[in-house]
Amino acid sequence: MTSLCTWLARRPGNTSSAKLMTMRVTLLIASREYLENVKTKGFWLGVLLVPVIFFGIFYLSSSLATATPTRYFVLVDQSGQYESAVDAAIQREHQRRVMQDFMAYLQENRKQTAGTTLPQTSNSRLNELIDDFGNDEVSALDGWVEGGGLDMALQMARPYLREDAPPFEEPRPQFIQAKVPSSIDTAASPEQIVEAMRPYLADERRLTVNGESVPLFALVLIPEDVNTDIVRPDTLQTLMTDDNAPRGVQYWTANLTDTRLSNAIQTSLNDAIRQQEYDNRGINIQQVRAVQRTRMPVSQLDPNKAEGEEAVSFADTFRQWAPMGFVYLIFISLMQSVQYLLSNTIEEKSNRIIEVLLASVTPSELMMGKLLGIGATGITTIAAWIVSFFVFLQVYQSVETVMIAEILTVLMNSELLPYFVFYYLCCYALYAGIFLAIGSLCNTLKEAQSLIMPLMLILVVPVLTMSFVAQDPNGTMARIMSWIPLFTPFTMMNRAAAQPPMVDVVGTTLVLLICIVAVLWLSGRIFRQGILRTGQPPRIVELWRMMKRRGQHG
Amino acid sequence: MSESVLKLHNVCKRYGDFTAVDNISLSIPKGSVYGFLGPNGAGKTTTIRMILDIIRPDTGQIEVLGSPSAMNVRHRIGYLPEEKGLYKKMKVWAIIAYFGALQGLPRKQARNKAFELLERYGLSDFANSAIESLSKGMGQKVQVLASIVHEPELVILDEPFSGLDPVNQEVLEQLIRDLSDNGQTVIFSTHVMQHAERLCERLLLITQGRKVFDGTVADAHAIIPRRIVLETCESVQSLEAIDGVLSIKRLPPDLTGVRPAGSCQWELYVREQADPQEILQHCFSNGVTLSRFDFTQASLHDVFMHLVGTEAREHKFR
Repeated sequence: MTSLCTWLARRPGNTSSAKLMTMRVTLLIASREYLENVKTKGFWLGVLLVPVIFFGIFYLSSSLATATPTRYFVLVDQSGQYESAVDAAIQREHQRRVMQDFMAYLQENRKQTAGTTLPQTSNSRLNELIDDFGNDEVSALDGWVEGGGLDMALQMARPYLREDAPPFEEPRPQFIQAKVPSSIDTAASPEQIVEAMRPYLADERRLTVNGESVPLFALVLIPEDVNTDIVRPDTLQTLMTDDNAPRGVQYWTANLTDTRLSNAIQTSLNDAIRQQEYDNRGINIQQVRAVQRTRMPVSQLDPNKAEGEEAVSFADTFRQWAPMGFVYLIFISLMQSVQYLLSNTIEEKSNRIIEVLLASVTPSELMMGKLLGIGATGITTIAAWIVSFFVFLQVYQSVETVMIAEILTVLMNSELLPYFVFYYLCCYALYAGIFLAIGSLCNTLKEAQSLIMPLMLILVVPVLTMSFVAQDPNGTMARIMSWIPLFTPFTMMNRAAAQPPMVDVVGTTLVLLICIVAVLWLSGRIFRQGILRTGQPPRIVELWRMMKRRGQHG
Repeated sequence: MSESVLKLHNVCKRYGDFTAVDNISLSIPKGSVYGFLGPNGAGKTTTIRMILDIIRPDTGQIEVLGSPSAMNVRHRIGYLPEEKGLYKKMKVWAIIAYFGALQGLPRKQARNKAFELLERYGLSDFANSAIESLSKGMGQKVQVLASIVHEPELVILDEPFSGLDPVNQEVLEQLIRDLSDNGQTVIFSTHVMQHAERLCERLLLITQGRKVFDGTVADAHAIIPRRIVLETCESVQSLEAIDGVLSIKRLPPDLTGVRPAGSCQWELYVREQADPQEILQHCFSNGVTLSRFDFTQASLHDVFMHLVGTEAREHKFR
């Protein structure tokens, strides 16, 4: 960077002491620029807001999941056959939540044993449960319920919990069956019942449960002749030609997004009628269960790893996706720098500071000083984000943060970091030169905005294509984009984890570096002439002339 | 003649069809206070920018402190541009120190020098204020200090007095005198003649890009012949015989009625070296009764108006 800046500032008759002066002045400008930026409110807002938003979303999403209100529903079973199935569905849904919470509790409060993610238990039952939980939730839940649920699990897990582990708190049931309002005649036709329940479903009237007034979440209506609607392979034909009248169990709700209750009821009802079918056909249900829990594991393997270590761990998968995070980081940081590059240059122009500056320093020194100072601002921001990340992990420990901590360890030790540093700096040098030149041509931010529009559109491309590139990192699109210098830093970062061919790595890097030198050189020319311009930003033709013309002190 | 710090030789600058500076040559001796005078748009700022190598002349040579480009000797030059501006968020002392450091002073020395200057020119109370909290005139004073903090040999001030109140104009005049006493050369542009008259040893008068006068203040005064106004009832035509009297003209009668009846005013133009005593003597010996004898030196303002007045007016209404 320093050699580049002296190269840019090279003038005939430059002695080594003049070079030293150039460096001194450049650093002086850079440090003023840096301090000025760091002192602004906007900078600190950016530094603090990003982690706050990130962790805010993180915290909200995890706390909201447990904060869903208790839902009350009403069951009218005119057939008299399925009430127990619905009960079972509710119970099962509740047990699923208990199990999930318990697993999280177990991970959080297990004894710290070095080198293992899961507690080494001699209890095969618990091991089986943990294994099922990770692979097949339905089997795990079956195991859980059959094994005796929470009491059993707590008893099994106790030896492996930390001594200071807090007691497990069982979550509240989320779905509670309420009594049918006394004004409703359950023997009436389904249409009449639905009509009578409408005010409740629309939340115009409320149910009374234990003296409390609560809204009705759903009405489950099972008509008397529901069994005639059971769909079997041989009745599929009639299903296709039938009219639009509701069939089978009617599930009425105004809330279309929370489908847990309807799903649970559907599964449970199907279980019930299938049980009936098995019985009718004389099939042993226990055997069916045993068959259903049989499974073939599929291991993901990575050919690029040493023999014996091909197994793809969570960290490996993560490493494949991490480059996208880095691309985002480069993008966000660049956006922040663009702001400073434009506004600081335009401030100097519109306040007419530029003329005094140019009497003291050369335009090249000014430009390099700005590039360095604002670059340092960007690096500070990223460093601040990383620090706040670590601080957060120290302060707020939970299952998720343990995971994030593992992710960070992966990142810090991975080969991606040097890529990130390299492409970050390249990306900055490439775009900062262009944006500085634009800033030097404009007197107001408004003028600048119209000029940077096309560049902004170009910048959006690598972000939009980010996930495609990540899925096919060595595909045609990724390779083509890598060779376009404006995209190179983003796309190559994106591909970094996929061992791109050497040709791509070396070739695009060379093209990129040549491009950066050219851009900085041309930007310098425009900057030198633009910085003293007044009036409208130039048209393309004028811009071309500026690039061709030797600058004042070039 | 002492060594010159600045030489311009046949310098021209054109912007399209418009000639901003037309063939200007000048030489400024070391240690002098030199005034650039001229009406608006005369080419003062363009000339100054060319001297500083911010813009290049189309033709002609410029030599500043012995170098062909001010860029090579920029740390020996102090410059206050016509359009003033400073970083709004910076503190007063910090901005002066910053410009000092940019001009090559070690940081600590620049800082000390900044406080010293603020103290000397009555701004020490504002040392820690942000620029944006200052008035425009105050900011301008700060900028003047920022341009001289590195004790440059050549100080170029473009319109330093504009926007300052009379008290601060006085302070600035004193500052320029201080610089001059210190052996520093000061060039400043203005269109207010009084400052030039009080401060300058030499003047450059340009209009429409052309040099119309270059010389000492005394030379400038000599451009307009001295004027004597007489008021008498008798004829004074006989005065024409006196050596040194260039012309006699009767001024139009005054209708205000202040003058005694029958008297009229006569305007005499005389040579620089003419002796007003001799004219007075002549009047006495010829029995001419004078009710007024007014001998005034033409002010720089008159010289200015004489040299550029008609052109400037024409230019304005064209």
